[in-house]
Amino acid sequence: MTPLLEVRNLKTFFFTDGGITKAVGGIDFSIHLGETLALVGESGCGKSMTALSLLRLVPSPGRIVEGEILFKGDDLLRLPPIEMQRIRGNRIAMIFQEPMTSLNPVFRVGDQIAEVLQLHRGLNQGAIAEQTIELLHQVGIPEPELRSRDYPHQLSGGMRQRVVIAMALAGKPQLLIADEPTTALDVTIQAQIMDLLDRLRTERSMATLLISHDLGIVAENADKVAIMYAGLIVESATTEELFNHPLHPYTEGLLACVPKLGEEKKRLAPIPGQVPSAANLPAGCSFRERCPYAFSPCSKKQPSLQETSPGHFVRCWKYQ
Amino acid sequence: MKPLLEVSSLSKSFQVKGPLGTGRKQLLAVDQVSLHLHQGETLGLVGESGCGKSTTGKLILRLIEPDSGSIRFDGSELSGMSQRQLRPLRREMQMVFQDPFSSLNPRLKVGELIAEPLQIHRLAKGAQLRSETIRLLKTVGLGEEHLDRLPHEFSGGQRQRIGIARALAVKPKLIVADEPVSALDLSIQAQVINLMRDIQQEFELTYLFIAHDLAVVQHISNRVAVMYLGRIVELAATDTIYRAPRHPYTEALLNAVPVPKPGKTRRPPLAGEIPSPLEPPSGCHFHPRCPYAKQVCREQRPELVDIGSGHLSACHFHAEVGRFRRS
Repeated sequence: MTPLLEVRNLKTFFFTDGGITKAVGGIDFSIHLGETLALVGESGCGKSMTALSLLRLVPSPGRIVEGEILFKGDDLLRLPPIEMQRIRGNRIAMIFQEPMTSLNPVFRVGDQIAEVLQLHRGLNQGAIAEQTIELLHQVGIPEPELRSRDYPHQLSGGMRQRVVIAMALAGKPQLLIADEPTTALDVTIQAQIMDLLDRLRTERSMATLLISHDLGIVAENADKVAIMYAGLIVESATTEELFNHPLHPYTEGLLACVPKLGEEKKRLAPIPGQVPSAANLPAGCSFRERCPYAFSPCSKKQPSLQETSPGHFVRCWKYQ
Repeated sequence: MKPLLEVSSLSKSFQVKGPLGTGRKQLLAVDQVSLHLHQGETLGLVGESGCGKSTTGKLILRLIEPDSGSIRFDGSELSGMSQRQLRPLRREMQMVFQDPFSSLNPRLKVGELIAEPLQIHRLAKGAQLRSETIRLLKTVGLGEEHLDRLPHEFSGGQRQRIGIARALAVKPKLIVADEPVSALDLSIQAQVINLMRDIQQEFELTYLFIAHDLAVVQHISNRVAVMYLGRIVELAATDTIYRAPRHPYTEALLNAVPVPKPGKTRRPPLAGEIPSPLEPPSGCHFHPRCPYAKQVCREQRPELVDIGSGHLSACHFHAEVGRFRRS
């Protein structure tokens, strides 16, 4: 089966006075319908830039310099802007960490959902009103008729995120990009939103690209995981495989350094050093300065992504 | 042994204006909070946003004034003291903030930032000031070469180290750490947590560790207090509270934490929203979301009582709690 989305050798660079920053340095991944792929990494690793690249929304001075983004076989990077607009928000929708950034504070939430329905679906007034209520109902907002007349500030953080999800669903997307969708929410509300996203994915057989730094969220919600470090995918595998048999030293380090609930109290094993700045990456493997296993080849050349077992890829000289 | 810090029935309410300045309302942010801390101990204070945990921390340091209640620190009663009387005690109690980006003056060099508390409290000057500053930098894992740099040249983790060095400068007994690692990246969080544990042992520090991340709190705390809408609902030794919580809210919180182990079955999440602290539910604040709630919970506020060996719970049905625990 061909994947819904296939990204090949995507490179997004930022051109500043200080030089070129390789925010996304050449990455490949694919997502099938009904599947959730998690993109995991720390701040500045390029995960959010990858998402914005998919929608061709990279802010200046950033630019996609190379690669292909095949969505149902069509390369999004070759589409004229007008056709890209039809896909954006329609076939591919995105939700962000802070729901207030996606909501206009001076319009009623119902009207903001209606706007999407009008723009992307071209429905008549009666159908729009009906659909708006239906969408609010689907995302679990109680008394949707009343709430649709609320302004964003009248809703709680969790309810706002539900409204944003309803807006994203209004265009009937096949791919939903969720960039840290619960990071700004409290833990009991986070669980509700992740449950909602999971239910919607099943009901609509959507594909989801989940961007997160929370390994717990990822383990509970993703089918496949790709770990990013300094603009590159350093390891990818099914969730089960990645958590049970991590291969890359960075993945291993990440899994080891987080305190886990109910675990025996012992000294944490942090990854030494700092994340290198994307503008100033070390030669060879970007992780080598923090890596306990680094040996001579690591300083010479960036290793390539190798398939060590079916579906398990790792970018490390230990496995070349 | 007498506790280093003893807080009893601490309350604080704020006046909140409605939209366009209409309809003033009372927001009871901290509602009769009592807790104590022994020297060298870490008490974790957890809860979701708006539960009053940060306000509690600031009240204890008298950064905001309590409405009522008492704060006894090292034998002195802090509430009612004038700022002048407080001054010498301020040295003993320091705070570490969440956001290392906004808590450091961007125009001061690191050397100046760390020397500042030493100068204010007249603890060192001249060559001694410099050597003391360098010693503090080394304690937090930085070095002499960082003295002349500005905060923007540092990463989040390094800035948090600078914040910790500033707090340590005056040799405090108590540190109130308000979400000290939640703004940091995963790989850096562990470094800062380890640092906090190391300096705690070295200087016999006492921590009030305020955080929302239950796994981090479990890792660092000896005892944990859980807050919901201004009230402490449960307080017990860390192992006890995580293994066998006796308040339905603690149980729900623990169930909701995603575990980085694939294949774990999820509990259906706790239903409902966190109510507005402006209009908290009657009786037990948690009753509208509580799977154990009965009529009495709507009517009567449950007191925080000892249900055995220092385990405090504020629930009418604490004996039943455990039925909904995720395995």
